[in-house]
Amino acid sequence: MAYLSVDRVSKEFPGVRALDDVSLDIELGQVHTLAGENGAGKSTLVKMLTGLDRPTDGRVIIGAEGPGEQDSHEAIAYVPQEINLFVNMTVAENLFMPFSRTHPGMGLFKRRNLEREAQSWIERFNIHARPSDKVTDISVSDQQLLQIARACTNEHMKVLILDEPTSALTDAEVDRVFAVVRDVVASGCAVVFISHKFDEMFAISDVISVLRNGRLRATCQADELTQDQLIELMSGEEIDTDTRLQPESSPGDLLLRVSGLSGKGFEDVSFDLRRGEVLGFAGLVGAGRSEVMQTLLGFLPKRAGEAEHRGRPWKFGDTRYAVRQGLAYLSEDRKFHGIFPGQSLRRNIGMSLFHTTGKKGVIAAGRERGIVHDIIASYDIKTSTIDKDIVFLSGGNQQKAIIGRAMACSPDILIFDEPTKGIDIRTKMDIYRLVKELAENGVGVILVSSEMDELNRCASRIITMYEGRISGEFNTESATNNELIAAIHGHTTEEPAA
Amino acid sequence: MDTQRRNPLHSLVAAAGGNSLSSVIAVLFVIVGLSALMSDNFLSSYNMVIIARALAFIGIITIAQSMLMILGELDLSLGAIGGFCGVVGGILMVRVGLPPWIAFIACLAIGAAFGAINGLLVTLLNLHSLVLTIGMAGVYGGLNLVLTKGVAITGIPTSIGFLGSGTIFGLPMPFLIMLAFLILACFLTLKTPFGRYMYAVGSNTPAARMLGIPVDKVRIGVFTFAGFLAALAGMLMVARLGSAQPSIGDSWVLAPIAASVIGGVPTTGGIGSPLGAIFGAAIIGVIENLIVLLGVSPYWQTMVSGAIVVIAISLDSISRRYFKRA
Repeated sequence: MAYLSVDRVSKEFPGVRALDDVSLDIELGQVHTLAGENGAGKSTLVKMLTGLDRPTDGRVIIGAEGPGEQDSHEAIAYVPQEINLFVNMTVAENLFMPFSRTHPGMGLFKRRNLEREAQSWIERFNIHARPSDKVTDISVSDQQLLQIARACTNEHMKVLILDEPTSALTDAEVDRVFAVVRDVVASGCAVVFISHKFDEMFAISDVISVLRNGRLRATCQADELTQDQLIELMSGEEIDTDTRLQPESSPGDLLLRVSGLSGKGFEDVSFDLRRGEVLGFAGLVGAGRSEVMQTLLGFLPKRAGEAEHRGRPWKFGDTRYAVRQGLAYLSEDRKFHGIFPGQSLRRNIGMSLFHTTGKKGVIAAGRERGIVHDIIASYDIKTSTIDKDIVFLSGGNQQKAIIGRAMACSPDILIFDEPTKGIDIRTKMDIYRLVKELAENGVGVILVSSEMDELNRCASRIITMYEGRISGEFNTESATNNELIAAIHGHTTEEPAA
Repeated sequence: MDTQRRNPLHSLVAAAGGNSLSSVIAVLFVIVGLSALMSDNFLSSYNMVIIARALAFIGIITIAQSMLMILGELDLSLGAIGGFCGVVGGILMVRVGLPPWIAFIACLAIGAAFGAINGLLVTLLNLHSLVLTIGMAGVYGGLNLVLTKGVAITGIPTSIGFLGSGTIFGLPMPFLIMLAFLILACFLTLKTPFGRYMYAVGSNTPAARMLGIPVDKVRIGVFTFAGFLAALAGMLMVARLGSAQPSIGDSWVLAPIAASVIGGVPTTGGIGSPLGAIFGAAIIGVIENLIVLLGVSPYWQTMVSGAIVVIAISLDSISRRYFKRA
């Protein structure tokens, strides 16, 4: 019998059946992947497994204990998608928080003992840090591994749930996480893995379960499944993922020229952006791409360099100026830099409509409703009402709302920073088509992405960055994947094009 | 939603939640009803005027504080600004001999300027408003003592007395002035782009900045308006008392914050409205009035009204947790 069984579980929320009669078995010593689009019910299912929430019907059976399952949830360790660490404390302190095992009772706190014990965990999980390092000072991938290590310090752990552990990582860093996952499985635990990336699912999974609209579509052995079958199971229709979606129009006038820009985390960055092109920015996490864009926006201070927009000098350090000049920036971090939580969808979108709805100093409510309804329709945002708090929308719908809001200002430069992070394949394709359409309408689009596939598919040109500097510039038509990957890792094979 | 499991206690807690405006109003009505049952004098017009007048002064500060709290800021120096402006108004009228109206307006300008100084320090130096305004409360309160040596300024011209103790249709002037500014504040926060910017800054400052919202101007604007309102409350109090007491404003620090939280504006900002906050202030005002009517010893009054604030915000937090789980 399986260690963890989900037995005919349903979960209802007001107006939604988030899970509908789902049954699956999770065996020890296997990686069990949960696949599904955003809103398919993966997160709800995980909440049932961890005991964070209870099913409306059915039950979750852990171990051989049967119905009295309540306390055995401690055998389930969960690592959330976001980094959830005490960033101002050390690696060792984070590992053993709240110290109930290392310092039982009210014993004195002995830093040296803690750090000695931490060292073995750091080695086992291949974390590139010292026990005494502060978490803010280590890389994102090491933080991700540290989160996994922390979950594993629970000695009762039998099942480890990893919710999109790789969404902030580049391909090389993903391998480090996978090595750890294999190690955990080899030690006799089960791993429940959630991801939106197909190559990762097939690389690591033993079993794949597909959810759609709250129902279990199928549970398959990973090696008996093809990628096309998986996509079809997830979406219920065939999605053409091979199409290239570069703009078909040829680039127009020079829109933006950046020369020798330096700032926090990048040096001497120069590039041109023309109307009607999609300019990709490739690089590892931390290469300085977002910082370049946020400096252009005026959100971060610049140190040196200048820029010209339509032939006129660009003013730095003033986001209001930048937005008025027609620059819109969509951050990779929806939660912290995008949505206004606690505010309705209408108010979130309405924030960019005052040039038409707020002319007389008072908001024309009817007009605002009308425009917001139009935006919801044209960007296919799924919501029950426009007065719903935006935090209750799924990630994909939040992203569409933010794109719609940005477009309402009719920008001529649109910067997408990781626009499809944590977004399902169907919404991804929608966003790619939108990017193409925008460029064809004469907008200059900058696409910052860590997914090579995304850049190859959408960008006309790709600039690579490595450790804060531009390490290459490529024409998507002629560049090979190997050249790009070499460039983002700092092995320049050719000089940046002038 | 599991409606079967919802027991009466659950509903009561949910209603007391104050998360939405209607529940705050419901709680106010319940408390008014209970008060009327507990004390015969409660509903008398004399008592109602007392409540309205007390609510006027705390209410004006509550409007100011709630607008700051929507931004995610706090100004603990509003009481000190009110006290200082009242004293300066007294000096200008009595010792300098300026016409009362000019003195009145000059004080409102000083209050606005002090508010603006708070706002400028918070934005330009990126200071935490709570800590900064604790310090500024000391500065403004200290200036008050320097000017007055702790002695009240008496002999305020009776021509402005009407603003403090006059009535229209039986309603006290300060209360009507408070209502007028409440309408203005609600219009500003709920109907204008500026108001939406306030909510944007309060709910996600970096996102607001990235969207080109003039975050600093919004902050400084609201601090300035809050300082103006504090000065207004201070001057109305001087007009009401007929003397400029150095202690004016001493009790205006904590109650408006509690009122705002009860009325649905959390200290973390982004939601609620000045209207809800005023109902919160009314709840506190009614309870404090009832304590007096019931003849509770004055020594107990502070403790009881403090405890009621704690109970009110606890109910709010508990009900929110219930909502989350349901």
